[in-house]
Amino acid sequence: MATVIPVDDYVTDEWYPGFRPAFDHAPFVIEPFRTFSKADEERFWFLDFHWPRGLTPLGLIWNEDGYGWGTQLAAENMPLPPGRGITQRIAGTHTYAAAIAVETEAEMGLRAARLTGYLPDFLNRFDEIWAERVAEVDRSWQFFRAVDWSVPDLPALGQLARQARAFHKRAFEIHFEVMYPLLANYLGFYGVCVELGVDTTQIGKFLQGYDTKIMETDRELGRLTKEARDHGLGELFAVTEATLLWSTLEADPAASAFVASFRDFLDVYGYRTEGSCDIALPSWIEDPTPALGMIKTFLQKEEDHDFSVALTAARQERADAIAAARSGLTTEEQAVFDAGLASCQAANFPWWQDDHNYYIDLRVSLPMRWACLEIAKRIGAERPDDTIFLFWPELMDVADGVRPYDEELRELVVRRRAYFDHWLAKRPTMPKVLGTIPEAVDDPILIEIFGLNSHFLNAVKAAGSGAEIKTLTGVAAAKGKARGIARVLNNADELHRIQPGEVLVCESTSPNWTPAFAKIAACVCDGGGTLSHAAIVGREYGVPTVTAVGLATMVIKDGDEVEVDGTAGVVTVLKATTAEVPHQSPPVPVAT
Amino acid sequence: MTDLIAWMDQVAPDAALAVAGPKMGRLAELGQAGVRVPYSFAVTVDAFRAHCDEHGLAQKADDILSAVDAADSAAVEAAALRVQDVFLAAPLSEALRRGIVEAYDELSDRCVDLNAPVAVRSSATGEDSGAASFAGAFDTYLGVSGPDRVVDAVRRCWASLFTPRATAYRLQQGIDHRAMPMAVGVVELVHARSSGVAFSIHPVTGKRDRLVIEANWGWGEAVVQGLVTPDHVEVGKADRRVLRYDVADKRVVSAFDYAVGAVTEVAMPERLRERQVLDDDEVAQVVAAVLRIEEHYGYPVDVEWVVDRHRRSGEAVSIVQTRPVTVVAAPEPPKVWDPTAFAAKYAHGGGR
Repeated sequence: MATVIPVDDYVTDEWYPGFRPAFDHAPFVIEPFRTFSKADEERFWFLDFHWPRGLTPLGLIWNEDGYGWGTQLAAENMPLPPGRGITQRIAGTHTYAAAIAVETEAEMGLRAARLTGYLPDFLNRFDEIWAERVAEVDRSWQFFRAVDWSVPDLPALGQLARQARAFHKRAFEIHFEVMYPLLANYLGFYGVCVELGVDTTQIGKFLQGYDTKIMETDRELGRLTKEARDHGLGELFAVTEATLLWSTLEADPAASAFVASFRDFLDVYGYRTEGSCDIALPSWIEDPTPALGMIKTFLQKEEDHDFSVALTAARQERADAIAAARSGLTTEEQAVFDAGLASCQAANFPWWQDDHNYYIDLRVSLPMRWACLEIAKRIGAERPDDTIFLFWPELMDVADGVRPYDEELRELVVRRRAYFDHWLAKRPTMPKVLGTIPEAVDDPILIEIFGLNSHFLNAVKAAGSGAEIKTLTGVAAAKGKARGIARVLNNADELHRIQPGEVLVCESTSPNWTPAFAKIAACVCDGGGTLSHAAIVGREYGVPTVTAVGLATMVIKDGDEVEVDGTAGVVTVLKATTAEVPHQSPPVPVAT
Repeated sequence: MTDLIAWMDQVAPDAALAVAGPKMGRLAELGQAGVRVPYSFAVTVDAFRAHCDEHGLAQKADDILSAVDAADSAAVEAAALRVQDVFLAAPLSEALRRGIVEAYDELSDRCVDLNAPVAVRSSATGEDSGAASFAGAFDTYLGVSGPDRVVDAVRRCWASLFTPRATAYRLQQGIDHRAMPMAVGVVELVHARSSGVAFSIHPVTGKRDRLVIEANWGWGEAVVQGLVTPDHVEVGKADRRVLRYDVADKRVVSAFDYAVGAVTEVAMPERLRERQVLDDDEVAQVVAAVLRIEEHYGYPVDVEWVVDRHRRSGEAVSIVQTRPVTVVAAPEPPKVWDPTAFAAKYAHGGGR
């Protein structure tokens, strides 16, 4: 009997107060982004981990450009034999994702035949292709950085915003154009390892220890931490709230050398947002609190995280894991293994999963944001980011002078802000999945990236039983065992709350969470497979990590003492916190 | 007169299987091909036929079995046991008895022993032919010593042609018992430090790029009969490199009980249970023997091997049995890295 979690609470045709779109306003390839209908209950939906705070009206753009366009176009072009990409539905300000299946075996076969002519060449040329794409993205990026946003008039700003959106959309074409073949290759290699009897928990190690732009950023933060310490700023960092650090440092003559260094750092690494693909998020340039907050907590540690030692250790561990795996293979098997490994190291999916975030996920929404903020200024909006509470057609109308930014829109923005806050508060109790929960998910992308494996499905199904859960299981994502006080975080804004030696518990992590891995004892995520961000970074940093736990953020309470066994994939609540925590009721599954 | 006794180091290789049955015949082939095998002789197929003719045993067996409904397993079992009684009651001719005793004394002399302990093994014609499988259906006696016991064991092996299991299987398959006359081997009992089986391909997956060795302390019976979880070793064929050596917790050992004069299964001494059975040199020698045997026959084989207590490093191990390995055809393992094929199989649902 299938377990069905009703979608009724989210069935509406209104996206936000005052907006019911015409379906011609955003491009899509197979299936548009829209709200839930009752018929959607037959499909399987999972809460998207990328936006734990919810999305503003303009933030919803990613669902159009990334999913409705990027994934679907890539899946059709490659093509991906069993699926046509991902589609999303709106639940309040949150979104749920589902894979779009290719319906017939015959069509899958034809798509697979087409892929034969595509994949090997793509993989062989991966270095070249990725370098070309990075160069392309960077050209556009340099264009937008060179824009003096104060100069153009409002219609010209609208035009720039359109251009920024085209860049955004193109960036996600590239994102999935690259991601699908790399993932296919990785999973092929994974399957071969299974066939050869290679311990699959070691596969992540075979591909680790390659430097990425994100790791480079983290190293720079580590260097700045040392500099702050050397300049005797430890005390200042310790006593100053993270949000006040920048103004305090700028005002302190003793900090001038550090401030100069930090500005240099920002100039290179500061164009990144505190979260993936969201126009609502400022970059570190706009608000350096996250970077400074990270340095603040790094300073609290007795010893600096030695990035070069960690990288060397990761490489040694890689060499050892490969040697151990090869020793159990016959010479014939070694030939296949070596070729597959070489292919996956050259077109390295886990590496790319981290690296591409620097070029794409963490920054390509910034030009649109800059345009929006400037438009907000010109139209005399009450708050600098009021325009991100407009939908794209509304924003374009305002910029083009077709529609005035009048009382009606101003009032709508106020209502939409309240709507956003209302759903932000509801996020911790949102069902992790909706619709018809399958017995098993067999789409490898959903399993490996989103962590929708049997642990996760069992956990969400068991949620209704009411039994007190003390032990949770998930994917053994990064080895090792650690104990600590749990910090249950709903989004990256709260990262500065976490103290060295504590256990990070969250829905999922994204690249902006990475620096925290230098200070936490362990990490537990509701979602995410062996290829999720937390799994990859956990391995790089040697932080015991368990992913795809399903309900960690509901079962574990902030302040609980927990033990995380990243080798076995088990999380145990040792001592429940005595502090009163408001009861959060899990979703109640209904059997049909 | 036909030969009642044949020495395995003297029988013509091309006649060995016909004279001594498959189990002993192959031992003769191996020994003469240079593989280390124990001293042995066979009580020949002709000896069995002459014995049957003398007592009319084939007809008596037919008389008992023809009345039985092959589908009635209880009736088949009862009839088989009656045939066995008839066989056990038939005395050996003086000539045959004398032939066996003289050969046995000769074997003891070769071992520089008195009443040397031997293995008495059934070697029924066709017992491991491609079409039928009688593996383990017929008797083997390990550690028999003294002429009377040896003669008795030969007769028991003959009678084991009619174990309920073998009888039922023949009736189901429509195989005439006359088609599988039984030679019996009398084989020097190698004093085993360790023994086991080995396969020139992986017996479960069918992979041909490796050998699999299973090993236990003492004699091989506990391994052959599945009474113990043996050490499991896999070795790459191309470079003879040990791919894995899984040391098992071995709880049973087949040991020679001198008081009884037989190999018997007892609890493994605590200190030996989790100790690795084979060292690198022993593995290498088992591998060398298995590969040589496979090369000799030109098809995958399984063997039973024994490491003599007094074996020194570098010396060959003894092979006490070999036969064609019976495995199901395995899916062809991947030979080259083909990203499209593997993606199709593992990333895109083709493996479902």
